[in-house]
Amino acid sequence: MFQIISAIVLRRLLLAIPTLFLLSLVVFVVLRMLPVDPLAMLLPASATPADAAALRQQLGFDKPIPQQFLIWLWQAVNGNLGSSINFRQPVVQLMLAAIPATLELTLTGLLLALLISIPGGVLAFVLHQRKREAAADLIVALMQSIPSFLWSLLLILAFGVFWPVLPFSGRVGDGVSLPGITGFALVDLLLVGRFDAWLGALSHLFLPALALALGFAPLVIRVLRSSLIDAANEPYVEVARLRGLSETRILWRHMLKNASLPTVTMIGVQFGFLFGGALLVEMIFGFPGVGNLMIQAVKGNDLPLIQGIALIFCVLMLVITVIVDVLYAVLNPRLRTL
Amino acid sequence: MTATALTTPPAPRAERFPVTRAALRQLALQRRVWVGGGILLVILLLAVFAPWVAPHDPLEQDLLHMLTPPMWASGGSGDFPLGTDGLGRCVLSRAIYGARVALTVAIVAALGSMLLGSTLALLSGYFGGLVDRAISYLVDLWMSFPPVVLSLILLVGLGTGVDKVILAVVLVDWTRFCRVIRADVLVIRRRDYVLAARLIGFTHLRTMLREVLPAVVPLMITLFSIEMGVAIIVEATLSFIGLSVPPEITTWGQMLADARSDMQSSACVMLTPVLCIIVTVLGCNLFGDGVRVALDPRLRLRGE
Amino acid sequence: MLSISHLTLTAHLGGQSVEVLRDVSLTLERGKVLGLVGESGAGKSMIGRVIAGHIPTGFEVTKGRIVFDDTDLLTLNRKAWRRLLGRRIAFVPQEPLTALNPVLTIGQTFAEHLAHLGVPAAERRLLMLQQLDSVHLPNPTELVHRYPHELSGGQCQRVLIAMAFAANPALIVADEPTTALDVVSQATVLRLLAEQRRIHQTAMLLITHDLRLASHVCDDIEVLYAGEQVEYGPATEVLRRSRHPYTWALDHATPDVHGPQRQLPTLAGQMPGVSALSGISGCRFAARCPQSQAACTAEPPALAERASGHWVRCIYPREVGARTPVAADEAGSTATGAWRAPRGDAATPSLVELQDATLRYTARRGILGQRKVHNVAVNQLSFRVQPGEFVGIVGESGSGKSSVARLLVGAEQLTSGRLLIEGQQPTGAKALRLTREHVQMIFQDPHSALNPRRSVYRLLTQAYESDRMASQRHPRQERAHQLLNDVGLPQDALMRFPSQLSGGQKQRVNIGRALCVMPRLVVADEIVSGLDVSVQAQVLNLLIELGRRHGIALVLISHDLSVVRYLCSRVVVMQRGNVVEQGNTEEVFANPQHPYTRLLLASVPPADPSIAWPSEIAVA
Repeated sequence: MFQIISAIVLRRLLLAIPTLFLLSLVVFVVLRMLPVDPLAMLLPASATPADAAALRQQLGFDKPIPQQFLIWLWQAVNGNLGSSINFRQPVVQLMLAAIPATLELTLTGLLLALLISIPGGVLAFVLHQRKREAAADLIVALMQSIPSFLWSLLLILAFGVFWPVLPFSGRVGDGVSLPGITGFALVDLLLVGRFDAWLGALSHLFLPALALALGFAPLVIRVLRSSLIDAANEPYVEVARLRGLSETRILWRHMLKNASLPTVTMIGVQFGFLFGGALLVEMIFGFPGVGNLMIQAVKGNDLPLIQGIALIFCVLMLVITVIVDVLYAVLNPRLRTL
Repeated sequence: MTATALTTPPAPRAERFPVTRAALRQLALQRRVWVGGGILLVILLLAVFAPWVAPHDPLEQDLLHMLTPPMWASGGSGDFPLGTDGLGRCVLSRAIYGARVALTVAIVAALGSMLLGSTLALLSGYFGGLVDRAISYLVDLWMSFPPVVLSLILLVGLGTGVDKVILAVVLVDWTRFCRVIRADVLVIRRRDYVLAARLIGFTHLRTMLREVLPAVVPLMITLFSIEMGVAIIVEATLSFIGLSVPPEITTWGQMLADARSDMQSSACVMLTPVLCIIVTVLGCNLFGDGVRVALDPRLRLRGE
Repeated sequence: MLSISHLTLTAHLGGQSVEVLRDVSLTLERGKVLGLVGESGAGKSMIGRVIAGHIPTGFEVTKGRIVFDDTDLLTLNRKAWRRLLGRRIAFVPQEPLTALNPVLTIGQTFAEHLAHLGVPAAERRLLMLQQLDSVHLPNPTELVHRYPHELSGGQCQRVLIAMAFAANPALIVADEPTTALDVVSQATVLRLLAEQRRIHQTAMLLITHDLRLASHVCDDIEVLYAGEQVEYGPATEVLRRSRHPYTWALDHATPDVHGPQRQLPTLAGQMPGVSALSGISGCRFAARCPQSQAACTAEPPALAERASGHWVRCIYPREVGARTPVAADEAGSTATGAWRAPRGDAATPSLVELQDATLRYTARRGILGQRKVHNVAVNQLSFRVQPGEFVGIVGESGSGKSSVARLLVGAEQLTSGRLLIEGQQPTGAKALRLTREHVQMIFQDPHSALNPRRSVYRLLTQAYESDRMASQRHPRQERAHQLLNDVGLPQDALMRFPSQLSGGQKQRVNIGRALCVMPRLVVADEIVSGLDVSVQAQVLNLLIELGRRHGIALVLISHDLSVVRYLCSRVVVMQRGNVVEQGNTEEVFANPQHPYTRLLLASVPPADPSIAWPSEIAVA
């Protein structure tokens, strides 16, 4: 088993190298097609063309594009992703501060989504079997029409304005400082034993994670329900019935395990969707994560920062793909031949 | 007794296109299709006849009447049925004009993704081998990005404007079409009648167009409908961030962004664009879903 | 012990009520075997489902009783019924590979079954291993850790049998248990079932479409047609002295592997489907019966005992006599098979020839796909077909026979060796055109062989769409009507679509399409495998007539030796990509040299029920 897992990881990593290279290249080229001059924002109104030229040379924008890319690549491999134009800090530093927040948000969101959608999917399936699924189907269709960012706005309206019980801005309350051990607020605060601050961080995390979860859950419900329906039609389910097993036993022991396979695959494929949702959710809730950083970078035409964040997203997606592949091999015995 | 003569009871009146007819019949049975289609039709009509339907000009600012409540609340008037926003613009009119951008982006972008994605999927699934591997690799590469991130980056490079937004959506979403349709093409490719056509002397092009493509069309229609919904959401997201269209053009996303600051005072200003988006996307999803249920798998089993 | 009396199952479909099973009765005693024989759609599997209590929605039992061990099953509630399943009544399914949950090991599935039976946890493992051993599975301790996809079909079936007998059931229902298996496994499974039955004194209900198999394995046989029981009695009686015209036709429509050649009698039409049943008054078989009279369509006949223990549902049952071979027809040619022999002699240049043909598939394994794994489908095969000759290629699945078919029509490229068509080797762009004019293919599965969006007219004359010159030679409409005549379809079939045709009709369209370009060789890949025996006979006779009329050569790929013997003058036996024996059909079948050929021949249930079968040779 271990052999197979390491083989899968190795294969993905080897494929990852050209992938990352190509993606960085694409992003680089696209960004350089900019119709607006990024330097315009950095120069005071009184600047002369000479000043502009000097700045351009200083930032390295005067060299030909392929050369710029290779320089960037070389620096990136050495751990230097350049300096943010707007924030005037190294990109790596900015990202390292922001990534844990995004990961915390995304993982909590995924967890909440699973908590909602696994029972939801099973319920939808049971209703389908009993032919009473019309209402549930409509609810799921409705949920699927509401993306995370609309959920965020609705949740703020509900719990921030009408019934103000939960905070909807920032990651921690005013005046609270984070220990910064691992970067994950929930973990760090527990480690240092500050429980009231921990509760505060949790309450700040709740609404954004819920918005993410609600945007993602209908997809999982859909695929779980249809995989269960597919599994129910398989011959071995009929044979199990003929052996006298009860319906509930068949559902939980046989069908769910088989239905988990396409579900896991779908979650892996749609994970990008989750990250995309996180972008807007962070922006709306003022959560200091990578998504928020990205939006600020895009609005400010901050090329090095955009490039760096794009790279980090690719790496994250890659890690997710590897995890999904491994999980799939663990769940599906048929894939365990090499 | 002659071995080869076949006596059959008189045949029912033979209908033309029984597969299509059966499909349409199934389609008509789905309530979803009517509801979804109905919603879309209403929105389409509102968008097309916006100048006549909307009570005010969406850009007209009436600074004397800022943040007025909707007409059923106290303080509201029939002049502004859904009230006004922070700059005194009529919310209802803005919502109606916002539908124009939404539907334009939805239809054109979905069409573009469908054409690009389906063509590549057809080539990839039909020819297999190197072509398939190359296109699949390209799709995998493309999908290594979260779609929102990719569209943001593209817009940075392309600039603002409705046409740029459409282009960004097409460039990002064609991969979804390609993946799903390729899977279907692969299944159909294995069917014996495709090989039979080749043996009879059909060229590759003719086989693709005559034998494979018609079987994939139902799936394409479903995906098109769902893609419309996705395109609307993407456009709203982008205009919410402020990247999609210049401020002279009204979009739902813009309304949302403007309404954020006024949420405490007037919920209606925020809720209107939210509901517009939800209802329109729901219409697209219901319609696409109805098409999918009508055409798969019951019909597939019978017809194919 | 099991007694079904006057069972009637009604289906409520789209406003109509149709009696899918009508007045079915049977009795089964301890330790005996009853065969339920019928073609697909006759309702035999439905009886199995009714016994299990798994009736599909929309169906209900409107009459009759099912008494098992003195309890009427129909009066039981779901829970009590479920308790019987697996314990007192066990099932052996048709497709063993898909009958086991692919994500659980054999051990896990078996343990769950034993737990359900109430075996205490401590004893489960021992019992499991004992059972697996009793079905002669090698190395049970290691087997329990394997997954179903790691086992062969035969091994899976043995596991299922072990599970079925684990509870010492009183009744076993086996629904086509050997149909999906290879020849060796079939014999093993049948012997295993017989052995287990003897040990546990279990009664067995064997559901099968093969009348001859049933006559060898079962004590009694019940024949079903369109949901009705048409004949019932001791096995040898029903086969040798069949009284119902359908039973007689069923037996005679199956070609023989040994014995004198005879022309297959055919029944026109096909068994009425569920939707057609309500429109039939009187005997359901009357429309196809060669001896039906006016009285037959007036009222459904009652079941009457014609000889001791032998019941028939027919007003005019057949006279009992020995099985007479049908006299040869006007040309007198079927007896000698002269028309099937090649035109000209051995010196005539062959129509199509494969020389040292090899087909090898490569798959990639390893982390980056660096290792290549080869699978040789066809190994240095040499094979020729003379003009007008009918040649058969027999073998089991995996023998490479289908690959040979694909090589002949040019659907696959040879890895090495040569393909010659009329002495020329087709290369380049001319290749397809050359092949197309000379060789065409008829496909196995009529459902996937016809584009559902094309009408019969556009299917038959599909070749016209790629060849604009053809219309000048021969107008399309005219050709379509000609082809319809050739394949024996009615003229109004032109505007129909595949979904409106039966399996046999689809196969005729399949044949017609291949004939449109007037090829000189037709390759038929398992074209009658999915058809009912009575429909199969129609198609086979059609092929004979086409051979006679147009002089086309035929290469028939089949796993069914009796079909090959009926049609082909020469036979090639393949095993795992190699030719193990070839020659004149009669000689090879009468005097097989290679052990594999002998094995194949021994696996066919003989027409004479007194011969012991399965015999010793077939055991692996």
